[in-house]
Amino acid sequence: MILKKGMTRIFLYAVEAFVLVISAFPLLWVIVSAFKTNGEILSDPLALPSSISLDTFAHLFDTYNFPVYFLNSLLAAGVSTVVSLLFYSMGAYVIAKFNFPGRRLLYILFTITLLVPAHSKTQPIFSLVMQLGLYDNIWGVTFVYLSMGMAMSIFILKAGFMAVPKTLDEAAIVDGAGFVRVFLRINLPLVKNALTTAGILMFLNNWNEYYFASLLTVSDSQRTLPIALAFFTSEFSYNYTQLFSALTVVILPGIILYALAQEKVQASVATAGIKG
Amino acid sequence: MNIPHKRTGRRSHISRMRRSNYKWIYLFLLPTFVIFVLFYAAPIVQVFVTSFTSWDGFNPPEFSGLRNYINLFSNNGFLMSLKNLFFWCLVAATLHVGFGTLVAFVLYQKPRGWKATRAVFMIPNVISAAAWAMIYRFIFNNDFGVLNNIIRGVNPEFNVQWFYQSPWAFWAVTLTWLFYAVIVTLVVLGDLMNIPQELGEAARLDGATGWQFIRHIQLPLCRSAIGTSVICSLTARIAMYEQISLTTAGGPGNDTMSLSILLVNGILDYRYGYANAVGVVMFLIGLLILAVVNKLFRMDESDY
Repeated sequence: MILKKGMTRIFLYAVEAFVLVISAFPLLWVIVSAFKTNGEILSDPLALPSSISLDTFAHLFDTYNFPVYFLNSLLAAGVSTVVSLLFYSMGAYVIAKFNFPGRRLLYILFTITLLVPAHSKTQPIFSLVMQLGLYDNIWGVTFVYLSMGMAMSIFILKAGFMAVPKTLDEAAIVDGAGFVRVFLRINLPLVKNALTTAGILMFLNNWNEYYFASLLTVSDSQRTLPIALAFFTSEFSYNYTQLFSALTVVILPGIILYALAQEKVQASVATAGIKG
Repeated sequence: MNIPHKRTGRRSHISRMRRSNYKWIYLFLLPTFVIFVLFYAAPIVQVFVTSFTSWDGFNPPEFSGLRNYINLFSNNGFLMSLKNLFFWCLVAATLHVGFGTLVAFVLYQKPRGWKATRAVFMIPNVISAAAWAMIYRFIFNNDFGVLNNIIRGVNPEFNVQWFYQSPWAFWAVTLTWLFYAVIVTLVVLGDLMNIPQELGEAARLDGATGWQFIRHIQLPLCRSAIGTSVICSLTARIAMYEQISLTTAGGPGNDTMSLSILLVNGILDYRYGYANAVGVVMFLIGLLILAVVNKLFRMDESDY
Protein backbone atom coordinates (compact mmCIF):
# COMPACT_ATOMS: atom_id res chain seq x y z
CA MET A 1 0.00 0.00 0.00
CA ILE A 2 2.68 2.47 1.04
CA LEU A 3 4.76 1.45 -1.94
CA LYS A 4 1.78 2.06 -4.22
CA LYS A 5 1.18 5.48 -2.68
CA GLY A 6 4.81 6.35 -3.28
CA MET A 7 4.57 5.27 -6.89
CA THR A 8 1.52 7.50 -7.37
CA ARG A 9 3.39 10.46 -5.86
CA ILE A 10 6.34 9.89 -8.17
CA PHE A 11 4.01 9.72 -11.14
CA LEU A 12 2.26 12.96 -10.17
CA TYR A 13 5.56 14.81 -9.82
CA ALA A 14 6.88 13.34 -13.07
CA VAL A 15 3.87 14.70 -14.97
CA GLU A 16 4.25 18.07 -13.26
CA ALA A 17 7.93 18.20 -14.11
CA PHE A 18 7.26 17.31 -17.74
CA VAL A 19 4.66 20.07 -18.04
CA LEU A 20 7.02 22.62 -16.49
CA VAL A 21 9.89 21.64 -18.77
CA ILE A 22 7.95 21.73 -22.05
CA SER A 23 6.29 25.03 -21.17
CA ALA A 24 9.10 27.00 -19.59
CA PHE A 25 12.31 25.56 -20.98
CA PRO A 26 11.86 26.71 -24.62
CA LEU A 27 11.29 30.27 -23.45
CA LEU A 28 14.19 30.29 -21.01
CA TRP A 29 16.44 28.84 -23.70
CA VAL A 30 15.44 31.60 -26.14
CA ILE A 31 16.00 34.34 -23.56
CA VAL A 32 19.37 32.95 -22.42
CA SER A 33 20.52 32.46 -26.02
CA ALA A 34 19.76 36.10 -26.79
CA PHE A 35 22.74 36.99 -24.57
CA LYS A 36 25.16 34.62 -26.26
CA THR A 37 27.37 35.26 -29.24
CA ASN A 38 26.73 33.49 -32.52
CA GLY A 39 29.76 31.29 -31.87
CA GLU A 40 28.55 30.31 -28.42
CA ILE A 41 25.10 29.43 -29.75
CA LEU A 42 26.59 27.15 -32.38
CA SER A 43 29.33 25.52 -30.33
CA ASP A 44 27.42 24.88 -27.12
CA PRO A 45 23.68 25.48 -27.49
CA LEU A 46 22.83 24.44 -23.95
CA ALA A 47 25.48 26.46 -22.09
CA LEU A 48 24.97 29.75 -20.29
CA PRO A 49 26.32 32.94 -21.90
CA SER A 50 29.94 33.78 -21.01
CA SER A 51 29.12 37.44 -20.46
CA ILE A 52 25.97 39.47 -20.22
CA SER A 53 25.67 42.36 -22.60
CA LEU A 54 22.70 44.32 -23.82
CA ASP A 55 24.43 45.41 -27.03
CA THR A 56 22.34 43.23 -29.34
CA PHE A 57 19.18 44.59 -27.85
CA ALA A 58 20.42 48.14 -28.26
CA HIS A 59 21.37 47.37 -31.85
CA LEU A 60 17.94 45.83 -32.47
CA PHE A 61 16.16 48.90 -31.15
CA ASP A 62 18.45 51.19 -33.20
CA THR A 63 17.84 49.39 -36.47
CA TYR A 64 14.21 48.43 -36.11
CA ASN A 65 11.12 50.27 -35.11
CA PHE A 66 10.18 48.19 -32.10
CA PRO A 67 8.21 50.96 -30.45
CA VAL A 68 6.18 51.23 -33.67
CA TYR A 69 5.47 47.48 -33.80
CA PHE A 70 4.58 47.53 -30.14
CA LEU A 71 2.25 50.50 -30.55
CA ASN A 72 0.66 48.93 -33.62
CA SER A 73 -0.03 45.75 -31.66
CA LEU A 74 -1.36 47.75 -28.74
CA LEU A 75 -3.52 49.86 -31.01
CA ALA A 76 -4.95 46.97 -33.03
CA ALA A 77 -5.62 44.78 -29.99
CA GLY A 78 -6.57 47.54 -27.56
CA VAL A 79 -8.90 49.62 -29.72
CA SER A 80 -10.62 46.59 -31.21
CA THR A 81 -11.15 45.08 -27.76
CA VAL A 82 -12.57 48.26 -26.21
CA VAL A 83 -14.85 49.06 -29.15
CA SER A 84 -16.14 45.54 -29.59
CA LEU A 85 -16.72 45.21 -25.84
CA LEU A 86 -18.94 48.27 -26.08
CA PHE A 87 -20.75 47.02 -29.19
CA TYR A 88 -21.26 43.49 -27.95
CA SER A 89 -22.37 44.54 -24.49
CA MET A 90 -24.98 46.81 -26.09
CA GLY A 91 -26.21 43.87 -28.16
CA ALA A 92 -26.04 41.37 -25.32
CA TYR A 93 -27.80 43.79 -22.97
CA VAL A 94 -30.95 44.16 -25.08
CA ILE A 95 -30.98 40.44 -25.90
CA ALA A 96 -30.71 39.61 -22.20
CA LYS A 97 -33.25 42.10 -20.89
CA PHE A 98 -35.90 42.92 -23.47
CA ASN A 99 -38.51 41.14 -25.48
CA PHE A 100 -38.69 42.24 -29.06
CA PRO A 101 -39.46 40.63 -32.42
CA GLY A 102 -36.44 38.72 -33.71
CA ARG A 103 -34.74 38.39 -30.33
CA ARG A 104 -34.21 34.64 -30.45
CA LEU A 105 -33.23 34.65 -34.10
CA LEU A 106 -30.61 37.36 -33.62
CA TYR A 107 -29.17 35.61 -30.58
CA ILE A 108 -28.85 32.36 -32.51
CA LEU A 109 -27.34 34.12 -35.53
CA PHE A 110 -24.79 36.00 -33.43
CA THR A 111 -23.65 32.98 -31.43
CA ILE A 112 -23.69 30.46 -34.29
CA THR A 113 -20.81 32.46 -35.81
CA LEU A 114 -18.64 30.49 -33.41
CA LEU A 115 -18.94 27.52 -35.73
CA VAL A 116 -17.55 29.34 -38.76
CA PRO A 117 -13.82 28.77 -39.22
CA ALA A 118 -12.43 32.34 -39.47
CA HIS A 119 -10.03 31.39 -42.26
CA SER A 120 -12.81 30.20 -44.53
CA LYS A 121 -13.95 33.82 -44.97
CA THR A 122 -10.51 35.15 -45.82
CA GLN A 123 -11.15 36.34 -49.36
CA PRO A 124 -14.33 38.37 -48.68
CA ILE A 125 -12.70 40.02 -45.66
CA PHE A 126 -9.54 40.72 -47.65
CA SER A 127 -11.61 42.30 -50.45
CA LEU A 128 -13.71 44.28 -47.95
CA VAL A 129 -10.60 45.84 -46.42
CA MET A 130 -9.29 46.62 -49.92
CA GLN A 131 -12.55 48.32 -50.91
CA LEU A 132 -12.50 50.45 -47.79
CA GLY A 133 -9.01 51.61 -48.72
CA LEU A 134 -7.63 50.18 -45.48
CA TYR A 135 -5.19 47.70 -47.01
CA ASP A 136 -1.70 48.02 -45.53
CA ASN A 137 -3.09 50.15 -42.75
CA ILE A 138 -3.12 49.15 -39.12
CA TRP A 139 -6.68 50.47 -38.89
CA GLY A 140 -7.75 47.88 -41.44
CA VAL A 141 -6.36 45.17 -39.17
CA THR A 142 -8.07 46.78 -36.17
CA PHE A 143 -11.33 46.83 -38.11
CA VAL A 144 -11.12 43.10 -38.86
CA TYR A 145 -10.33 42.35 -35.21
CA LEU A 146 -13.65 43.95 -34.23
CA SER A 147 -15.44 40.92 -35.59
CA MET A 148 -13.40 38.33 -33.71
CA GLY A 149 -14.78 36.90 -30.52
CA MET A 150 -18.33 37.99 -31.32
CA ALA A 151 -20.11 34.77 -30.36
CA MET A 152 -18.01 34.24 -27.25
CA SER A 153 -18.45 37.80 -25.98
CA ILE A 154 -22.20 37.92 -26.60
CA PHE A 155 -22.59 34.62 -24.81
CA ILE A 156 -20.54 35.66 -21.79
CA LEU A 157 -22.02 39.17 -21.58
CA LYS A 158 -25.60 38.00 -22.01
CA ALA A 159 -25.20 35.67 -19.04
CA GLY A 160 -23.78 38.60 -17.08
CA PHE A 161 -26.68 40.93 -17.86
CA MET A 162 -29.25 38.23 -17.08
CA ALA A 163 -27.84 38.06 -13.56
CA VAL A 164 -28.49 41.77 -12.94
CA PRO A 165 -31.88 41.94 -11.15
CA LYS A 166 -34.59 43.70 -13.14
CA THR A 167 -35.80 45.46 -10.00
CA LEU A 168 -32.63 47.59 -10.13
CA ASP A 169 -33.54 48.77 -13.63
CA GLU A 170 -37.09 49.49 -12.61
CA ALA A 171 -36.00 51.48 -9.59
CA ALA A 172 -33.71 53.57 -11.80
CA ILE A 173 -36.54 54.16 -14.28
CA VAL A 174 -38.80 55.31 -11.48
CA ASP A 175 -36.06 57.75 -10.54
CA GLY A 176 -36.27 59.12 -14.08
CA ALA A 177 -33.27 57.42 -15.70
CA GLY A 178 -33.52 56.91 -19.47
CA PHE A 179 -32.63 53.80 -21.51
CA VAL A 180 -28.97 54.67 -22.03
CA ARG A 181 -28.49 55.72 -18.45
CA VAL A 182 -29.92 52.46 -17.12
CA PHE A 183 -27.49 50.61 -19.36
CA LEU A 184 -24.40 52.68 -18.61
CA ARG A 185 -24.91 53.47 -14.94
CA ILE A 186 -26.76 50.46 -13.57
CA ASN A 187 -25.98 47.46 -15.75
CA LEU A 188 -22.47 47.93 -17.11
CA PRO A 189 -20.82 48.37 -13.70
CA LEU A 190 -22.52 45.20 -12.48
CA VAL A 191 -21.19 42.99 -15.27
CA LYS A 192 -17.57 43.88 -14.64
CA ASN A 193 -16.59 40.22 -14.38
CA ALA A 194 -18.15 39.29 -17.70
CA LEU A 195 -16.52 42.35 -19.31
CA THR A 196 -13.12 41.35 -17.92
CA THR A 197 -13.47 37.78 -19.13
CA ALA A 198 -14.58 38.75 -22.62
CA GLY A 199 -12.02 41.57 -22.75
CA ILE A 200 -9.10 39.36 -21.76
CA LEU A 201 -10.04 36.73 -24.32
CA MET A 202 -10.38 39.24 -27.14
CA PHE A 203 -7.24 41.18 -26.24
CA LEU A 204 -5.14 38.04 -25.95
CA ASN A 205 -6.40 36.75 -29.26
CA ASN A 206 -5.91 40.02 -31.12
CA TRP A 207 -2.54 40.78 -29.55
CA ASN A 208 -1.24 37.47 -30.87
CA GLU A 209 -3.12 37.44 -34.16
CA TYR A 210 -0.94 36.70 -37.16
CA TYR A 211 -3.06 35.39 -40.02
CA PHE A 212 -5.08 38.46 -40.99
CA ALA A 213 -2.33 40.90 -40.01
CA SER A 214 0.08 39.11 -42.35
CA LEU A 215 -2.40 39.23 -45.24
CA LEU A 216 -3.49 42.83 -44.73
CA THR A 217 -0.19 44.65 -44.21
CA VAL A 218 3.04 44.97 -46.17
CA SER A 219 4.91 48.05 -44.97
CA ASP A 220 7.22 48.15 -42.01
CA SER A 221 5.30 51.01 -40.37
CA GLN A 222 2.08 48.97 -40.18
CA ARG A 223 3.52 45.77 -38.71
CA THR A 224 2.42 44.29 -35.42
CA LEU A 225 4.91 42.40 -33.24
CA PRO A 226 4.11 38.89 -34.57
CA ILE A 227 4.43 40.12 -38.17
CA ALA A 228 7.71 41.89 -37.48
CA LEU A 229 9.04 38.67 -36.01
CA ALA A 230 8.31 36.73 -39.18
CA PHE A 231 10.29 39.31 -41.15
CA PHE A 232 13.31 39.06 -38.91
CA THR A 233 13.77 35.40 -39.72
CA SER A 234 14.34 36.20 -43.34
CA GLU A 235 16.42 39.30 -42.57
CA PHE A 236 18.94 37.85 -40.14
CA SER A 237 18.87 34.29 -41.31
CA TYR A 238 22.33 33.47 -39.89
CA ASN A 239 22.59 36.01 -37.11
CA TYR A 240 21.20 33.81 -34.38
CA THR A 241 21.90 36.21 -31.55
CA GLN A 242 19.77 38.82 -33.29
CA LEU A 243 17.02 36.30 -33.95
CA PHE A 244 16.90 35.16 -30.35
CA SER A 245 16.89 38.70 -29.03
CA ALA A 246 14.13 39.69 -31.47
CA LEU A 247 12.09 36.72 -30.25
CA THR A 248 12.71 37.74 -26.65
CA VAL A 249 11.55 41.28 -27.30
CA VAL A 250 8.42 40.04 -29.05
CA ILE A 251 7.35 37.52 -26.43
CA LEU A 252 8.21 39.45 -23.26
CA PRO A 253 5.33 41.97 -23.29
CA GLY A 254 2.80 39.14 -23.54
CA ILE A 255 4.42 37.19 -20.72
CA ILE A 256 4.57 40.29 -18.51
CA LEU A 257 0.91 41.06 -19.15
CA TYR A 258 0.04 37.47 -18.33
CA ALA A 259 2.12 37.53 -15.15
CA LEU A 260 0.20 40.61 -14.01
CA ALA A 261 -3.25 39.11 -14.53
CA GLN A 262 -2.43 35.40 -14.31
CA GLU A 263 -5.44 34.20 -12.28
CA LYS A 264 -7.89 36.23 -14.37
CA VAL A 265 -6.48 34.96 -17.64
CA GLN A 266 -6.76 31.34 -16.52
CA ALA A 267 -10.31 31.85 -15.30
CA SER A 268 -11.26 33.51 -18.61
CA VAL A 269 -9.80 30.74 -20.71
CA ALA A 270 -11.56 28.12 -18.61
CA THR A 271 -14.88 29.96 -19.04
CA ALA A 272 -14.32 30.20 -22.77
CA GLY A 273 -13.64 26.49 -23.01
CA ILE A 274 -16.68 25.51 -20.97
CA LYS A 275 -18.80 27.71 -23.17
CA GLY A 276 -17.13 26.47 -26.37
CA MET B 1 -35.90 32.39 -10.61
CA ASN B 2 -38.94 34.63 -11.15
CA ILE B 3 -41.80 34.49 -8.75
CA PRO B 4 -44.80 34.09 -11.09
CA HIS B 5 -47.55 36.02 -9.28
CA LYS B 6 -45.29 38.95 -8.66
CA ARG B 7 -44.49 39.14 -12.33
CA THR B 8 -48.03 39.26 -13.72
CA GLY B 9 -48.81 42.35 -11.70
CA ARG B 10 -46.05 44.27 -13.35
CA ARG B 11 -46.37 42.95 -16.82
CA SER B 12 -48.58 45.67 -18.36
CA HIS B 13 -46.40 48.47 -17.04
CA ILE B 14 -43.24 46.83 -18.21
CA SER B 15 -44.56 46.04 -21.66
CA ARG B 16 -45.63 49.65 -22.17
CA MET B 17 -42.16 50.70 -21.16
CA ARG B 18 -40.64 48.16 -23.53
CA ARG B 19 -42.65 49.36 -26.51
CA SER B 20 -41.35 52.87 -26.10
CA ASN B 21 -37.88 51.37 -25.93
CA TYR B 22 -37.97 49.71 -29.35
CA LYS B 23 -36.07 52.57 -30.92
CA TRP B 24 -33.26 52.10 -28.41
CA ILE B 25 -33.35 48.33 -28.59
CA TYR B 26 -32.72 48.25 -32.34
CA LEU B 27 -30.19 51.04 -32.08
CA PHE B 28 -28.28 48.99 -29.51
CA LEU B 29 -28.35 45.94 -31.76
CA LEU B 30 -27.20 47.86 -34.81
CA PRO B 31 -23.40 47.74 -34.32
CA THR B 32 -23.40 43.99 -33.64
CA PHE B 33 -25.75 43.44 -36.55
CA VAL B 34 -23.55 45.44 -38.93
CA ILE B 35 -20.50 43.43 -37.86
CA PHE B 36 -22.48 40.23 -38.30
CA VAL B 37 -23.47 41.16 -41.85
CA LEU B 38 -20.07 42.55 -42.89
CA PHE B 39 -17.90 39.80 -41.42
CA TYR B 40 -20.14 36.75 -41.29
CA ALA B 41 -23.35 36.68 -43.33
CA ALA B 42 -22.15 38.43 -46.49
CA PRO B 43 -18.73 36.69 -46.54
CA ILE B 44 -20.24 33.24 -46.11
CA VAL B 45 -22.70 33.81 -48.94
CA GLN B 46 -19.91 35.22 -51.09
CA VAL B 47 -17.61 32.29 -50.34
CA PHE B 48 -20.27 29.73 -51.26
CA VAL B 49 -21.47 31.50 -54.40
CA THR B 50 -18.07 32.42 -55.84
CA SER B 51 -16.68 28.96 -55.14
CA PHE B 52 -18.62 27.97 -58.26
CA THR B 53 -17.02 30.69 -60.37
CA SER B 54 -13.68 31.48 -61.84
CA TRP B 55 -12.71 34.86 -60.45
CA ASP B 56 -9.48 36.85 -60.29
CA GLY B 57 -10.78 39.67 -58.09
CA PHE B 58 -10.60 42.30 -60.83
CA ASN B 59 -12.95 41.05 -63.52
CA PRO B 60 -16.47 39.95 -62.59
CA PRO B 61 -16.71 36.30 -61.53
CA GLU B 62 -17.71 33.84 -64.25
CA PHE B 63 -19.79 30.79 -63.46
CA SER B 64 -17.71 27.68 -63.89
CA GLY B 65 -19.79 25.01 -62.19
CA LEU B 66 -17.82 22.47 -60.19
CA ARG B 67 -14.52 23.21 -61.87
CA ASN B 68 -12.85 24.62 -58.74
CA TYR B 69 -13.88 21.56 -56.80
CA ILE B 70 -12.75 19.20 -59.53
CA ASN B 71 -9.41 21.03 -59.62
CA LEU B 72 -9.15 20.75 -55.87
CA PHE B 73 -9.78 17.03 -55.75
CA SER B 74 -7.28 16.37 -58.50
CA ASN B 75 -4.65 18.48 -56.71
CA ASN B 76 -2.20 16.44 -54.71
CA GLY B 77 -1.66 19.32 -52.28
CA PHE B 78 -5.35 19.36 -51.45
CA LEU B 79 -5.55 15.61 -50.97
CA MET B 80 -2.47 15.78 -48.75
CA SER B 81 -4.08 18.58 -46.70
CA LEU B 82 -7.16 16.45 -46.14
CA LYS B 83 -5.01 13.49 -45.15
CA ASN B 84 -2.90 15.65 -42.82
CA LEU B 85 -5.97 17.24 -41.29
CA PHE B 86 -7.41 13.80 -40.69
CA PHE B 87 -4.28 12.54 -38.93
CA TRP B 88 -3.82 15.78 -37.00
CA CYS B 89 -7.44 15.52 -35.85
CA LEU B 90 -6.85 11.93 -34.80
CA VAL B 91 -3.74 12.92 -32.82
CA ALA B 92 -5.56 15.93 -31.34
CA ALA B 93 -8.60 13.93 -30.23
CA THR B 94 -6.53 11.16 -28.66
CA LEU B 95 -3.03 12.17 -27.56
CA HIS B 96 -3.54 15.92 -27.21
CA VAL B 97 -6.84 15.78 -25.33
CA GLY B 98 -5.61 12.69 -23.49
CA PHE B 99 -2.52 14.49 -22.25
CA GLY B 100 -4.53 17.56 -21.21
CA THR B 101 -6.94 15.33 -19.32
CA LEU B 102 -4.09 13.46 -17.64
CA VAL B 103 -2.60 16.74 -16.45
CA ALA B 104 -6.03 17.79 -15.15
CA PHE B 105 -6.32 14.56 -13.11
CA VAL B 106 -2.79 15.03 -11.81
CA LEU B 107 -3.40 18.64 -10.76
CA TYR B 108 -6.71 17.62 -9.18
CA GLN B 109 -4.71 15.59 -6.65
CA LYS B 110 -3.14 18.93 -5.69
CA PRO B 111 0.50 17.78 -5.54
CA ARG B 112 2.98 20.39 -4.33
CA GLY B 113 3.31 23.21 -6.84
CA TRP B 114 0.13 22.39 -8.77
CA LYS B 115 -0.92 26.02 -9.02
CA ALA B 116 2.46 27.07 -10.36
CA THR B 117 2.37 24.21 -12.85
CA ARG B 118 -1.04 25.32 -14.05
CA ALA B 119 0.16 28.90 -14.41
CA VAL B 120 3.32 27.96 -16.33
CA PHE B 121 1.44 25.52 -18.57
CA MET B 122 -0.61 28.50 -19.72
CA ILE B 123 2.38 30.53 -20.97
CA PRO B 124 2.77 28.85 -24.39
CA ASN B 125 -0.88 29.67 -24.93
CA VAL B 126 -0.63 33.37 -24.15
CA ILE B 127 2.27 34.12 -26.45
CA SER B 128 1.76 34.45 -30.17
CA ALA B 129 1.52 31.22 -32.16
CA ALA B 130 3.90 32.90 -34.62
CA ALA B 131 6.55 33.29 -31.91
CA TRP B 132 5.96 29.76 -30.70
CA ALA B 133 6.42 28.40 -34.23
CA MET B 134 9.70 30.33 -34.45
CA ILE B 135 10.89 28.98 -31.12
CA TYR B 136 10.22 25.46 -32.33
CA ARG B 137 12.14 26.14 -35.50
CA PHE B 138 15.15 26.79 -33.30
CA ILE B 139 14.51 23.87 -30.97
CA PHE B 140 14.41 21.53 -33.96
CA ASN B 141 17.37 23.17 -35.69
CA ASN B 142 19.93 20.56 -36.62
CA ASP B 143 23.02 22.64 -35.70
CA PHE B 144 22.16 24.43 -32.49
CA GLY B 145 18.71 23.09 -31.66
CA VAL B 146 18.10 21.70 -28.19
CA LEU B 147 16.54 18.46 -29.35
CA ASN B 148 19.25 17.23 -31.69
CA ASN B 149 21.99 18.26 -29.29
CA ILE B 150 20.40 16.23 -26.52
CA ILE B 151 19.96 13.25 -28.85
CA ARG B 152 23.58 13.61 -29.94
CA GLY B 153 24.55 13.21 -26.31
CA VAL B 154 23.46 9.59 -26.75
CA ASN B 155 24.03 9.08 -30.44
CA PRO B 156 26.70 11.47 -31.79
CA GLU B 157 25.90 10.52 -35.39
CA PHE B 158 22.33 11.86 -35.23
CA ASN B 159 21.50 14.39 -37.95
CA VAL B 160 17.93 15.27 -38.91
CA GLN B 161 16.59 18.48 -40.43
CA TRP B 162 13.24 18.11 -38.70
CA PHE B 163 11.22 20.66 -40.64
CA TYR B 164 12.81 19.95 -44.02
CA GLN B 165 12.99 16.18 -44.23
CA SER B 166 10.28 13.66 -44.96
CA PRO B 167 8.75 12.00 -42.91
CA TRP B 168 10.02 14.02 -39.93
CA ALA B 169 8.39 17.31 -40.95
CA PHE B 170 4.87 16.04 -40.24
CA TRP B 171 5.88 15.01 -36.72
CA ALA B 172 7.87 18.18 -36.11
CA VAL B 173 4.79 20.28 -36.92
CA THR B 174 2.69 17.99 -34.73
CA LEU B 175 5.08 18.40 -31.80
CA THR B 176 4.74 22.20 -31.89
CA TRP B 177 1.21 21.81 -30.44
CA LEU B 178 0.85 18.22 -29.26
CA PHE B 179 1.56 18.70 -25.55
CA TYR B 180 0.28 22.25 -25.18
CA ALA B 181 -3.15 21.23 -24.01
CA VAL B 182 -3.69 23.73 -21.23
CA ILE B 183 -7.22 24.59 -22.37
CA VAL B 184 -8.20 20.94 -22.11
CA THR B 185 -6.63 20.82 -18.65
CA LEU B 186 -8.46 23.93 -17.41
CA VAL B 187 -11.84 22.81 -18.75
CA VAL B 188 -11.57 19.24 -17.42
CA LEU B 189 -10.20 20.47 -14.09
CA GLY B 190 -13.23 22.76 -13.81
CA ASP B 191 -15.57 19.81 -14.29
CA LEU B 192 -13.61 17.61 -11.86
CA MET B 193 -13.85 20.23 -9.15
CA ASN B 194 -17.63 20.34 -9.67
CA ILE B 195 -18.08 16.64 -8.85
CA PRO B 196 -19.81 16.49 -5.46
CA GLN B 197 -17.50 15.36 -2.63
CA GLU B 198 -20.09 12.84 -1.38
CA LEU B 199 -19.66 10.80 -4.55
CA GLY B 200 -16.06 10.11 -3.65
CA GLU B 201 -16.94 9.10 -0.10
CA ALA B 202 -19.81 6.89 -1.24
CA ALA B 203 -17.55 5.13 -3.72
CA ARG B 204 -14.87 4.59 -1.07
CA LEU B 205 -17.44 3.05 1.30
CA ASP B 206 -18.49 0.72 -1.50
CA GLY B 207 -14.86 -0.35 -1.71
CA ALA B 208 -13.96 1.22 -5.04
CA THR B 209 -10.23 1.56 -5.66
CA GLY B 210 -8.81 4.87 -6.83
CA TRP B 211 -8.50 3.63 -10.37
CA GLN B 212 -12.07 2.30 -10.44
CA PHE B 213 -13.29 5.64 -9.16
CA ILE B 214 -11.50 7.50 -11.94
CA ARG B 215 -12.59 5.03 -14.60
CA HIS B 216 -16.25 4.66 -13.68
CA ILE B 217 -17.18 7.91 -11.98
CA GLN B 218 -14.84 10.80 -12.69
CA LEU B 219 -14.14 10.18 -16.39
CA PRO B 220 -17.81 9.72 -17.35
CA LEU B 221 -18.74 12.84 -15.41
CA CYS B 222 -16.11 14.87 -17.28
CA ARG B 223 -17.54 13.62 -20.55
CA SER B 224 -18.92 16.94 -21.67
CA ALA B 225 -15.72 18.82 -20.70
CA ILE B 226 -13.71 16.29 -22.68
CA GLY B 227 -16.15 16.55 -25.58
CA THR B 228 -15.85 20.34 -25.55
CA SER B 229 -12.07 20.01 -25.50
CA VAL B 230 -12.15 17.63 -28.45
CA ILE B 231 -14.24 20.11 -30.44
CA CYS B 232 -11.94 23.01 -29.52
CA SER B 233 -8.79 21.12 -30.39
CA LEU B 234 -10.20 19.79 -33.67
CA THR B 235 -11.39 23.20 -34.83
CA ALA B 236 -7.96 24.52 -33.89
CA ARG B 237 -6.51 21.98 -36.35
CA ILE B 238 -8.62 23.48 -39.15
CA ALA B 239 -7.40 26.95 -38.20
CA MET B 240 -3.75 25.92 -37.80
CA TYR B 241 -1.63 28.28 -39.90
CA GLU B 242 1.39 29.84 -38.20
CA GLN B 243 2.78 26.49 -37.06
CA ILE B 244 2.99 25.46 -40.71
CA SER B 245 3.45 28.68 -42.61
CA LEU B 246 6.40 29.79 -40.45
CA THR B 247 8.10 26.40 -40.25
CA THR B 248 7.67 24.19 -43.33
CA ALA B 249 5.28 26.28 -45.47
CA GLY B 250 3.62 22.98 -46.37
CA GLY B 251 6.77 21.14 -47.41
CA PRO B 252 8.80 19.10 -47.98
CA GLY B 253 6.74 18.34 -51.09
CA ASN B 254 3.22 18.49 -49.75
CA ASP B 255 4.07 16.62 -46.55
CA THR B 256 2.63 19.22 -44.18
CA MET B 257 0.24 20.97 -46.56
CA SER B 258 -2.92 22.38 -45.03
CA LEU B 259 -6.16 23.93 -46.21
CA SER B 260 -5.25 27.34 -44.81
CA ILE B 261 -1.98 27.42 -46.74
CA LEU B 262 -3.79 26.44 -49.97
CA LEU B 263 -6.40 29.12 -49.34
CA VAL B 264 -3.83 31.86 -48.79
CA ASN B 265 -1.89 30.75 -51.87
CA GLY B 266 -5.12 30.89 -53.88
CA ILE B 267 -5.72 34.49 -52.81
CA LEU B 268 -2.13 35.53 -53.47
CA ASP B 269 -2.41 34.00 -56.98
CA TYR B 270 -5.66 35.92 -57.57
CA ARG B 271 -7.63 32.68 -57.85
CA TYR B 272 -10.43 33.84 -55.60
CA GLY B 273 -13.02 31.28 -56.75
CA TYR B 274 -10.57 28.47 -56.07
CA ALA B 275 -9.60 29.92 -52.68
CA ASN B 276 -13.25 30.11 -51.73
CA ALA B 277 -13.82 26.50 -52.72
CA VAL B 278 -11.16 25.67 -50.10
CA GLY B 279 -13.09 27.91 -47.69
CA VAL B 280 -16.29 25.95 -48.34
CA VAL B 281 -14.49 22.68 -47.63
CA MET B 282 -13.13 24.12 -44.35
CA PHE B 283 -16.59 25.28 -43.38
CA LEU B 284 -18.17 21.89 -44.08
CA ILE B 285 -15.45 20.00 -42.22
CA GLY B 286 -16.05 22.27 -39.23
CA LEU B 287 -19.75 21.40 -39.19
CA LEU B 288 -19.01 17.71 -39.63
CA ILE B 289 -16.62 17.69 -36.66
CA LEU B 290 -19.17 19.39 -34.46
CA ALA B 291 -21.94 16.98 -35.39
CA VAL B 292 -19.79 13.88 -34.89
CA VAL B 293 -18.30 14.92 -31.54
CA ASN B 294 -21.66 16.05 -30.18
CA LYS B 295 -23.10 12.66 -31.02
CA LEU B 296 -20.14 10.67 -29.66
CA PHE B 297 -20.00 12.41 -26.29
CA ARG B 298 -23.78 12.77 -25.85
CA MET B 299 -23.00 16.34 -24.87
CA ASP B 300 -26.55 17.63 -24.68
CA GLU B 301 -27.46 15.28 -21.82
CA SER B 302 -27.04 16.38 -18.25
CA ASP B 303 -25.73 14.16 -15.45
CA TYR B 304 -26.92 15.82 -12.30
